[in-house]
Amino acid sequence: MLTSLKLMIRPSHVSYCFVIVLCHLCLAFTLSASEVSNKSLQVHGFVAQGVIDASGSNYINDDENLSFELTEVGINASYQLNDTFRIAGQAVYLNGGNRYHEGPRVDYLLLEWDAFHNDVWQASFYFGRVKNNHWLHSSTRDIPFARPSIIIPQVVYFDGFRDIAVGGDGAAVKLRYSDDAIGEIDFNFSRGESSISDDQADVVIGKLALGTIDHDLDAQASIYWRPPYSQWRFGISALDSSFTYDRVEIDNFFDGDFIFQFYTANAIYEGEFWQFSAEIFQERFVTSGFYFPGFHRDEIGQGYYVQASYQLQKDFSLMTRYERFYANKDDRNGAKLSQSTGGLVPSYFGFHHDTMIGLSYDFSSDSRVSAEYHWMEGGARLSPIVQPNPIANDSKNWQVWAIQFMYWF
Amino acid sequence: MSFYVNYKDEIIKAIFFKIAVVILLFSPQVYAINIISNITADTPSLSVTQLRRIYSMRQLHWQNGTPIVVYVLASNNPLHQQFCKQQLRLFPYQLDRIWNKLTFSGYGVAPIEVATQQELIKAIKLTKGAIGYVDNLSEVKDVNVIKIDD
Repeated sequence: MLTSLKLMIRPSHVSYCFVIVLCHLCLAFTLSASEVSNKSLQVHGFVAQGVIDASGSNYINDDENLSFELTEVGINASYQLNDTFRIAGQAVYLNGGNRYHEGPRVDYLLLEWDAFHNDVWQASFYFGRVKNNHWLHSSTRDIPFARPSIIIPQVVYFDGFRDIAVGGDGAAVKLRYSDDAIGEIDFNFSRGESSISDDQADVVIGKLALGTIDHDLDAQASIYWRPPYSQWRFGISALDSSFTYDRVEIDNFFDGDFIFQFYTANAIYEGEFWQFSAEIFQERFVTSGFYFPGFHRDEIGQGYYVQASYQLQKDFSLMTRYERFYANKDDRNGAKLSQSTGGLVPSYFGFHHDTMIGLSYDFSSDSRVSAEYHWMEGGARLSPIVQPNPIANDSKNWQVWAIQFMYWF
Repeated sequence: MSFYVNYKDEIIKAIFFKIAVVILLFSPQVYAINIISNITADTPSLSVTQLRRIYSMRQLHWQNGTPIVVYVLASNNPLHQQFCKQQLRLFPYQLDRIWNKLTFSGYGVAPIEVATQQELIKAIKLTKGAIGYVDNLSEVKDVNVIKIDD
């Protein structure tokens, strides 16, 4: 009976119901915004739908057709319990085709403790499911109107790692300092782990790996500094994480361990018409076992992106971005990768580059349309990275374009 | 000689006055911005840095311990835009970015947005610890007016 019930309640039905409920909640809260906008309770949300097309790769879908798998819906609430404690949570529904698994998620659900504050210091602790707040755009990567473009720089914000990188269950601390002499300094530290569902594991390690992958450790720290009254802000971050793969009895792969370390430095300039930002990073990806017992690979990858936007008119802006990523800094053209696999994996899976142009138009202070075009090169940011798919991705050069409408409140 | 100097000064003043009038006539509307708070805030003055800290949600309590409740007009409202640039020395989109990041990551809350100055004044009067801004003080009563020190 239970089995038949489980079969009747298919995941796609659950997702469909979830997105309908989210949309209704967004509509209800928008219509009654004045009623809920008291000082203790805040409710916000967003709805975004777009059209996207990727030619020459399975980045969005396997048939490379025009797709409407560009849906993002979210609603959040924050309630101030008293002067010291606050609770907050956000639920989202995402559909990005092959980019990440389709479905609902609890994005964050946390208790904030305002541990200490005075005129210049603020120290807060967060417990529960906390978001990654360490990279330039990590905390708003799913928020259509708060990120720089529809597809954010894959060199740092790789969609295949979205569910692991977006945050985890654990705790975070935020220390903030500001004065006239030093400016504003923010220090963030978080520790937690993500539970990886089977659907998410398919994106990360591929469908041929039948076992389970567990996120064992995730410790991250970052520090940001804005000089007094400056339009510049600078930041650095570090991440240390590890994963374990446990094979099932009949499996195409073996028990394995993965270590992923990630170090970034970033800068942003916010002028009246011009904005610039850049992030540079180095990552270390260690694989032990998994492909066969005794296998060991320890690679250091490097990458960066620079982007600029210009506000042409009050509501209309243009942007451009240039990204470069090398999975192995000692094999920038991927020749060694191809050689090590006997030519099964083409050399262009050793890097990922993107040159992008985009524009956005604000209809009002709460609605926008964005459009962009990407010239991609390489396959190092195509999921699953541990099992490259050269049949579906048989082109070194591929293109993506997207248009997305968004509304928020 | 002194008569000549005084006469020259008067001409220069007249020219500057006329230029100022022409600039004002052809400029976007300029508002006189006044910072007001609920009487529980009990703060006669703030520095620009303190005001900026309050609006970027880095200072959440008044000196007397009362929680600060920040009210704003919509980001495309001319008064809000002038308040950001003139008083906070920030562009409106910078504040939007800070608030969105706090709201949609769970790490904080955004100010409460109201549609009109009348709503804002009413909210300031009724909400303990509230702060906001208006362009005309003549009809505003029962609130604390905060002087901003440069």
